[in-house]
Amino acid sequence: MAANPDGQAGLYRDTLLAGLWRENPVFRLLLGMCPTLAVTAAVKPAFTMGCCVIFVLLCSNIMVSLMRDLLKPHLRILMFTLTISTFVTIADLFLKAFQPRMSEALGPYVPLIIVNCIIICRAEACASKHPVLLSIVDALGMGAGFTLTLCVLAGIRELLGTGKVFEIQVMPSGFVPWAALGMPVGAFLTLGFLLGFINLISKKRS
Amino acid sequence: MRSLKHFFEQSWLLIVASFFFGLLIAATNAALSPRIEMNKVTKLTSLARGLLPQAEKFAPLRERIEIQGSDGKQQEVAVYKALADDSTVGWTFKAVGSGFADKIELVVAVDEAFETLAGFDVLMSNETPGFGDQIKASFFRDQFAGAPAAGLSLVNTGNTEEIDDKIVAISGATVSSTAVVETINHYLAQVKEQLQKKGLIGNGSES
Repeated sequence: MAANPDGQAGLYRDTLLAGLWRENPVFRLLLGMCPTLAVTAAVKPAFTMGCCVIFVLLCSNIMVSLMRDLLKPHLRILMFTLTISTFVTIADLFLKAFQPRMSEALGPYVPLIIVNCIIICRAEACASKHPVLLSIVDALGMGAGFTLTLCVLAGIRELLGTGKVFEIQVMPSGFVPWAALGMPVGAFLTLGFLLGFINLISKKRS
Repeated sequence: MRSLKHFFEQSWLLIVASFFFGLLIAATNAALSPRIEMNKVTKLTSLARGLLPQAEKFAPLRERIEIQGSDGKQQEVAVYKALADDSTVGWTFKAVGSGFADKIELVVAVDEAFETLAGFDVLMSNETPGFGDQIKASFFRDQFAGAPAAGLSLVNTGNTEEIDDKIVAISGATVSSTAVVETINHYLAQVKEQLQKKGLIGNGSES
């Protein structure tokens, strides 16, 4: 494993950065669209959702990676779902205990992390094939990429939809909020424009 | 015997993992449930304070209040006595009913004689945004403040500012409006009867 320290360090760096840009779960892989559209009306719930996904992704990747040599091919999806649902339940209980208002604001979207494609995708594509450390790095990269994307979307929607960011007034008093951005149509529009923008940058780079 | 061996060979990890994860969830739940319950009580009393502003504190009833649920099963109701200067100024309790999308949890407040509603507020609901979730709106909730604490009926049209036993339904959310009225009626009658049986309120015959 440590035969080529520079190579390993490069692999970890690449894995970490992949989630942020090259394989960003939202902008590049178009995974986890449900929370991306549903909880990005403001930055606080988006950030909380991102943290929950990081926690679940990290824990499930560790568990799946530890079990990888024991997994039967036909039972692996069942094991992934069992593992993911356990940590989602724990995250949901923690939110209810320590952030009850945020738990109410996020509503059913926290339990719905169980069916978030990013987590099952990383369990299948990375954790079930690689050692624990690489799975942890992958979870952190993908989770950070997802959280960052949600926060960018939510930042734009909250800023233009209410004139605030993190519930702090940012826009001048004369600014007329674009109410539509706080509604579902605003989520689709913002995501569409951002996807177009990211594709444009990627094309120019290549 | 061979099939049993094959079964355990294939599924032992699943069985062990199910036990382990079950234990993990049970331990987390045991550790956090007191705090979660405390949060729920805090929310209930803070909403009740908005309905009974004269109350200084809300004391949970020591007596067990049980009613028959809509499914026919007996269920315990969390009833609180609203106190000001150690005298009762009202009652508040949690009521649960079936809404359009999911169950609806309400906080209902009544006066000290259990004759007049002080109003209701929504503890939890997943009703349709823009339609069913209008049960939280003041134009609907205000109809309950001052209404008689028995036999409310839902009407499709009427004056929402007129306070009586007729509640005007929310346009486009008849199921949610009906759920609220039926839940409140269901609980009011039974909680009142239980409180009368336990001698906590008058039975209405003194006057």
